[in-house]
Amino acid sequence: MRPYRLATRYALAEQAGNRFALTLVAAFVPLWVALMDWVVPHTAVAFHYRAGDRTLGVDGQHLSLLTGALNAVTLIVGFMMFSAARRCAPFERRLIHCGFPARSLLAAKLTMLTVVAFLTTAYTTALVRMFWTPEQLLPLGLSLLAAAFAYGGLGILVAVALPGQLEGMFVIVMTSLVDTTIQNPMGNPAADKSVLRYFPAYGPMQSAVGAGFTRHTPWPYTALAAAWLAGTALVGLTVLHLRTRSRYPMAPAPAQARSVPEATARAQR
Amino acid sequence: MGDTVLTAHELRASYRGRQVLRGVRFDVEAGSLVGVVGENGAGKSTLLRILAGRQRPDGGSVVRRATLGYCSQQPVLNPSLTVDQHLRYFQLAYRLPGLDRALALLDRFAFTDRLGSRVRTLSGGTRQKLHLVLALMHNPGLLLLDEPYQGFDWETYLRFWRLADELRAQGTAVLVVSHLVFDRSRLDRIHHLADGTLHEAEPEAPSSRRELAR
Repeated sequence: MRPYRLATRYALAEQAGNRFALTLVAAFVPLWVALMDWVVPHTAVAFHYRAGDRTLGVDGQHLSLLTGALNAVTLIVGFMMFSAARRCAPFERRLIHCGFPARSLLAAKLTMLTVVAFLTTAYTTALVRMFWTPEQLLPLGLSLLAAAFAYGGLGILVAVALPGQLEGMFVIVMTSLVDTTIQNPMGNPAADKSVLRYFPAYGPMQSAVGAGFTRHTPWPYTALAAAWLAGTALVGLTVLHLRTRSRYPMAPAPAQARSVPEATARAQR
Repeated sequence: MGDTVLTAHELRASYRGRQVLRGVRFDVEAGSLVGVVGENGAGKSTLLRILAGRQRPDGGSVVRRATLGYCSQQPVLNPSLTVDQHLRYFQLAYRLPGLDRALALLDRFAFTDRLGSRVRTLSGGTRQKLHLVLALMHNPGLLLLDEPYQGFDWETYLRFWRLADELRAQGTAVLVVSHLVFDRSRLDRIHHLADGTLHEAEPEAPSSRRELAR
């Protein structure tokens, strides 16, 4: 428990000191949401609402506010988690090699993700509310939170698995952009294709539309993002384990292990 | 010198497509101060990473029989954390009851006053000192050091070698990778890495060793 508490405390303190990310959250989200409100007209749009198995006629500007909010939280949380995980990766590998439990570091990352995702989502939901009164505000916020979780997990995975900073940022930005754009029928008239369900923001988008435009909340769709988080965390942990396991665990003392060199040599082959 | 604490057997490895180790074999005994010297790009750091278990060789094996302390060539630290936070992280990693030895090492290298400073505010030399302290604070039986004194001033450099002598005297095996010729006089055994294999070289005479220790 102590390693987890220490790692969480230091991770949160480090994130709180990340001025660039905090400025990004403070300035980017209101700008993005206000821009949607300003430039997108109140045109009626048909949205294929699979969660309710029907097509909804929705206000295009409000739908764009939703996709804009999804885009903002997924970009910010994905980028923050990627940046934190990548910056600490060599140091954490050293810690793990020296005996620090990897699961405590990962659990601390997930706790940090929870805090960052919750704060970013609460702020974004409040801003969306300033421009539009959705049918159900809390489920709408939870849909955004689910998307933030999915992309936070993706950020951690990309940081662990990809070698370079630029590649990682590109993957997160492009995934979020493509994901939220193709789910919006204003940007993609063919947004009713079944392949969309395999994208991370699919579930949160469906549940956000349900919360925003109906009195029905499709919780199983919100939970789809949890599957993304679990999947990315599992793959991330596996990659981390493979990279940080010691090639040579300590052998027994010489008096008890005269044949160890030979045995280890065979094991290596 | 005591029991063998490290055995490398027929190690083969490549670095960026070039084979740098072609069947390296040697032993390190407890209480010995061993050097691996060689030109830039000879494969010294690759060898040390393999000995520390950080890199898989293309062939061969390594057996360690002591707790390991490893200091890579580049300091691996977290710029956002303070010196104190680094020590507390590694206290838990090594499962140490306290930080007495770590604080004594900080005092030894004269940077106790930087305990509350973030690593990003430290000079290159002080970062290197912290890097070394993190590899030493659990009193390992085998210490693998890759050019551990880069950025040290002369006084700190001498402190480092005095500490290495003390560690050797208490039974720690210390393996130092170096490309500096004048370090050779301080070592019990020297291995020269050239063309992918190790050749044992003669250390300098004891008289010149005493001269350098001053």
